[in-house]
This record gives sequence, C-alpha cells and structure tokens, in this order.
Amino acid sequence: MNMLHGLKVLEIADGLVDFGGRMLVELGAEVVTVVEDAPRPHARDLAWHHGKTRLLGDDVAAVARLAQGADVILDGQRNGCRFDLKVPEGCIHIRVSSFGPEVPARPATDLTLMAMSGLMHITGEPDRPPLRFPGEQAYALTGIQAATAALMALYARRRDGAGQGADLSALQSATLSNYREAIMYEWTDRIGRRRGNMLVRGKSGVRQVWPCRDGFVTWSMIDNPGMMRAVVSVMEDAGEAGELAEVDWDNMLVADTPQETIDRWQAIVADFFAGRSKAELGELSLKRGWGLSTISDPQEVRDSEQLKARNLFVPVEDEETGAVTPLPGPLFHPVGAAPRRRFARAIPASSFAGWGRR
Amino acid sequence: MGALDGLKIADFSWVGAGPRATKDLADNGATVIKIESRKRLDLGRRSPPFAGDPNDHDGSAFFAQTNTSKQSVTINLSDPRGVDVARQLVAWADVVVENFGPGFMDRIGLGYDELRRIRPDIILASVSVAGKTGPMAGFRGYGNSAAAHSGHAWLSGWPESEPHMPPLAYGDVVAPMFATVAILAALEYRARTGEGQHLDISQIEPMVHVIADLYAEDQPAKPGNDDAQFILHGVFPTAGEDQWIAIAVETDAQAAALAQVLGLAAADADAVAAATATQDKHDLAARLAAQGIAAAPVLDGREVLENPDLAAGGHYVSLDHPVLGRSQMPAPPYRFDRTPAGLFRAPLLGEHNEEVFVNMLGLSREEVMELGREGVLA
Repeated sequence: MNMLHGLKVLEIADGLVDFGGRMLVELGAEVVTVVEDAPRPHARDLAWHHGKTRLLGDDVAAVARLAQGADVILDGQRNGCRFDLKVPEGCIHIRVSSFGPEVPARPATDLTLMAMSGLMHITGEPDRPPLRFPGEQAYALTGIQAATAALMALYARRRDGAGQGADLSALQSATLSNYREAIMYEWTDRIGRRRGNMLVRGKSGVRQVWPCRDGFVTWSMIDNPGMMRAVVSVMEDAGEAGELAEVDWDNMLVADTPQETIDRWQAIVADFFAGRSKAELGELSLKRGWGLSTISDPQEVRDSEQLKARNLFVPVEDEETGAVTPLPGPLFHPVGAAPRRRFARAIPASSFAGWGRR
Repeated sequence: MGALDGLKIADFSWVGAGPRATKDLADNGATVIKIESRKRLDLGRRSPPFAGDPNDHDGSAFFAQTNTSKQSVTINLSDPRGVDVARQLVAWADVVVENFGPGFMDRIGLGYDELRRIRPDIILASVSVAGKTGPMAGFRGYGNSAAAHSGHAWLSGWPESEPHMPPLAYGDVVAPMFATVAILAALEYRARTGEGQHLDISQIEPMVHVIADLYAEDQPAKPGNDDAQFILHGVFPTAGEDQWIAIAVETDAQAAALAQVLGLAAADADAVAAATATQDKHDLAARLAAQGIAAAPVLDGREVLENPDLAAGGHYVSLDHPVLGRSQMPAPPYRFDRTPAGLFRAPLLGEHNEEVFVNMLGLSREEVMELGREGVLA
C-alpha cells in the first residue's frame, strides 16, 4: 500500500500548487486537478500533472460537488474564485496566493516572485542583470510547501478528526529558500552581490567551475585540509602538484591568503583538471573524498547510472499523443507501488465518474 | 496547539540538509531534540554570520535560524556509553533524522536495523547527497554537488555560457523540504498500518524534480531570463547602482499597457530597458501592477529583510536569544486556521541536557554530571 493510498485531493491548478499535487500523486493519493483556463506550454503541463486526473473547469457545479468528497483541496486560484467551493467538514483547504491574504492581490509570476526573494540579486555575473534559477523555482517551492501544509493538517486531523484551512504565500515560500542574504545584512550590514562562479570567503575568491577535457567539474579550494591534501597527493603522484606540494594545509587559511597566491595555485589545479576527463575526476573524487562533482548536462542526468539505479526517471505516456517522455518519478526511497505513469487527457468536469472510479 | 503537537523527533542531523526539515516540524509543534556534541560541533554553529565572537558556539545567526523551536542535548557518539543514551532517545522518538556521511550511523550502532530493534515502528529519515543505494552511494559532497549532478548548474546561467553554480547551497534547501514531506507521509502510513520505515532522501533527486518542466522538453536548454510563454520576460535596469526590475508580459493587452506606461510605441526589450533605466524600481513596479502587469523590484538582502509584503505575512518572527539578542527568524510560509505555528529561539549547545536526560529519560542528576565530566554527555 502506498503512503497516502485513498487520500482524495482536489487541486485547482494555477502554477502555484501544481508540484504539490504531483508530490501527493507520487505518494499514492488520488489527485484530480482542474486545469487552468489559459493554455500553458505542454512540457509544463506534462511535468507537473502526470499521474493526475485532469478536468476542464467548464462546470462550476461539478467542481463544487467534487470538493464535497475531497480530503484535501489545494487551492491555487490567484485571480479570484472560479468555483463556488464549499469546504466540507473535515476537509483540509490549502489556500495559496502570491503574497498571502494580508497583502492586496496583484499580478505575479515565477519571475517576479523570484525577483522579490532576494535570490536573483545574487545570481549571475557582476556585469550583467540578475538571473533567475532554471525552471520555475518559486512555483516549485510553493508547491512543496502546499504539500507540506496539507500533510501537517492531515496529522492534526488524525489527532482530533477536524479539518482546517491554511493560507500559504508563494513569496514567503520562495524567500524562505534564501537562507543567507537577509540575515547577512541583519548581522553584518553587508549586501550580497553577484559573483558569477566565484566563491568569495574572507579576503579571497575561489573558482567553483573548472573546464576539464570533456566538460566541466565543480570544486573549490576551501579551508578543508583533509580534502586539499587528498587532491594534492594525486597531483603529486602525477608530477603535477608544483608548489602546492609544499603548502602546509593544516596551518593556513585559504580565506586569508592573498588573491594572487590563490590565482597561482588555481592555475596549477586548472592545468591538472584540464588534462583529465569528467569520468576520471569523478572517480577520483568518489574514491579519495575530494568533494568534486562532475557537472552533468540534461542528457547525462537522464543517462546517469546512479539515477538509473535509483529509478528516478520513469516513462510517462501522453494519453492523447501516445508519446512517451522520461520524467522524474519517485520522490525518495523506498517507493511504494508506482502511480499511473500517464499524462491524462483533460476531460469535462461533468464527465468525471467520481472519486475512486478512474 | 500546533499541527504536530505530540510528535517526537530525535534529530541527529547537522548543518543544513537535515536541520531545515526538523525546523519545519519543530516550528509546528513537534518536540525536536537535537543531539549534538562538543566533540564534533555542528558545523552550522561555525557558520557565519555571528553575533560577535566566531568561536562562541552559541553565536551563529545561521545556526539560530536553522534550528528554531528545538531542544539541544550533547552526546558524544564516539563513546559507547553515549550511544546507549542515544538509544534511549530513539526509544522515546517517533522519528529519527540524520544526514551523516555514508555508514556513520551503522558504525556507531544506530543503523536502521538496530533502531528498529529498539522501536519496531520507528521512522528513520536519512538525507545524503546521492542516496543510500547506487554506485554513488558513498559519495561525499556538499550542497552544490546536487546542483552539478542534477543538471541544475548546467541549465543555469546565460545561454552559451559555462555552467553556473547557485549562489547558495540550493540542494541543502530543497532536499530537506522533501524530507519533511517524506516524514509526514510516513507518519500517515504508520497511523494506518503500524509500520515504520527508512526514508532515503537524496539531494540530487529533489533537485531534478524541481526542474522537471525542463526535463519534459526534448532538448532542455538554458534560457537565461527568457520564457517562451511570455511576450516579454526579463530583468531591466532602473535608476541607481545595481537596481533592477523584473517584468513578465503575457498578453498583447499587457504589452500595450506596458508601452503606454513607459511612453513607448512598442514594448520591445531594448526600448523597455532604455525606458526603465531612469525610473525608481518600486514606483515603476507599482504602476505596472496597477495596469495588470506582473512586475517586481529585484530585492537585495536588506530589502528582503525590510520588505512590507513579507512583514505583513509575518515572514520573520522577532525572537530573543541570550547571545544574539533580539533577532529575526524565518517562520513557515503557511498559517493554519486552527493549529498555528509557534516559534521559539534556537537552543544553546546542550541547554536541555538536564531536562532531557534527567526529567525525560530518568537518569540521575549525579549520573548525568559524571557522564558529562567523562566527556560522554558532552
């Protein structure tokens, strides 16, 4: 039996709750989503709604009836209530909006929410505009919080049998992920800047991204003597350590080392990395505890032996076209029985057979 | 009463990837006992910013905001007598959380099989970079390792540029959120079946999940700030040094409204950038929002801390702390109608030793003092 088998979840999708519903599907809940009126890119619908029953919002009364049988309503309506939802006794109603109920509604998208989270200000190159994270991170983070709130309320309901509502702010969800910038200002009066791929600590900045023979790896010269010794010993064996072999890593701080020295040391490391493949460097990191990671492109991620061993990508069939797309499935291990690996055709709400009858 | 009142967590996790999950639970009423040690200090206590002396293990604001609403005890897990005390906490707990390196819990005799012997329905949540199985199971990494292995770094940055690392350990943010969901779902499962389980949460996999929309494309590419769903989607300069506004225009009507507000014939990106460059970002965002256009100032750390929308939602809660003084701590982004969250300050190191070891586990005060002197409860 799956963790949430039998749990009935009605999702009114508008971007903000979609990934929350996806998580609950993956955990075994029956999730019925009422799709947005405005069309969205197919890839987004596919990614966030596979495994759900998809309904058109054509019949207000039918959706309202559906709500009467739901255990959980993930309500992502940002532009006013489209449906006359009467939340039944015992139901958990997660009301999600861009800014929370205390702030008058105004238009917002993933981009504008990320802009207000403080994360964009520090992402990107110093001489270019702030950058967002890939995908729709404000929406994804909000979705996770929607699932979290629903499950917390479910725990409370098990205790006393009563349902409840909760208000969830997308802005707060996105901002919560920025754990550093606000407190850094509160305690140091310093405002973070965009540093590209430089990691700045103390007096010096170190690289995070390095070209290698067939791509890129990420690693940084940080104050971790054991890790530094592990890297340099391999370079010594290869006769490529240069002056790094003479550094007493236990009695120095990278953060206090002049930038020109750091740059000289990094040039030695850069030459060493440039002559080796990602596979070689990744293997060395795994065996010797370097803390280096190979940077994978999307196809390499899909082909990753690690992720294959973990069955992360699952084939999802588009009911309408028959096309099969590999998409992330299990959230963690162990996984229960797999939910439907189908992207369902959206059907009129009035034609929905009812909970548990898909 | 909090949503999770009555829930008991033995929290062996440290730094960020575990403690953020247990903070979610603690802020909502769960009793979370954080097992720490002076012999192996939580690196979170060594992480900036600090209230004063960086060597004061109670002075890290990073630690304080990651560990609100928890209790702290000190147990030296390298001493078998310490492990024996830890076992008593396991017997008390509904859930055990850890994010140690590969094999550590097994080596000290607190692997899942042993935990289950102590409490058959225990839920163990383990957070690691790559998960407990597969060829990378032993991988030792850090928060940004997950960005590298998930495609996140490759898909970040400007088109045609080298991969871009997130400016913070984003994997240490997303994975614990998955851990929270996993724990709550496992509690529901236990309530139905009586069975516990070992939850194995990788940092890489959640980082793939949150960009699933890109993996749904045939050939995912890094778009920078562009988005094909929108007519205009970008960040534009405004008046002042390093000041910017984000604007997203989805419809022709919005494009026309944007052009009108900016006094342009058409809302193409170059013209918009030229027109926004002299304007105040807050004022312009408000004027555009009034016309139905999604627009927002790009906020820096100071502006986030002082933002009125976040303040209205109670995003930061002001708490007194013996070392930090009055300081701002992030609250959950949701507010329950019936079971409100209740934050209290993060614990000092070992602050709750007596309360937990004596009052809760029933050790004698003398025994606790002796074990403290011998470096066991330390």
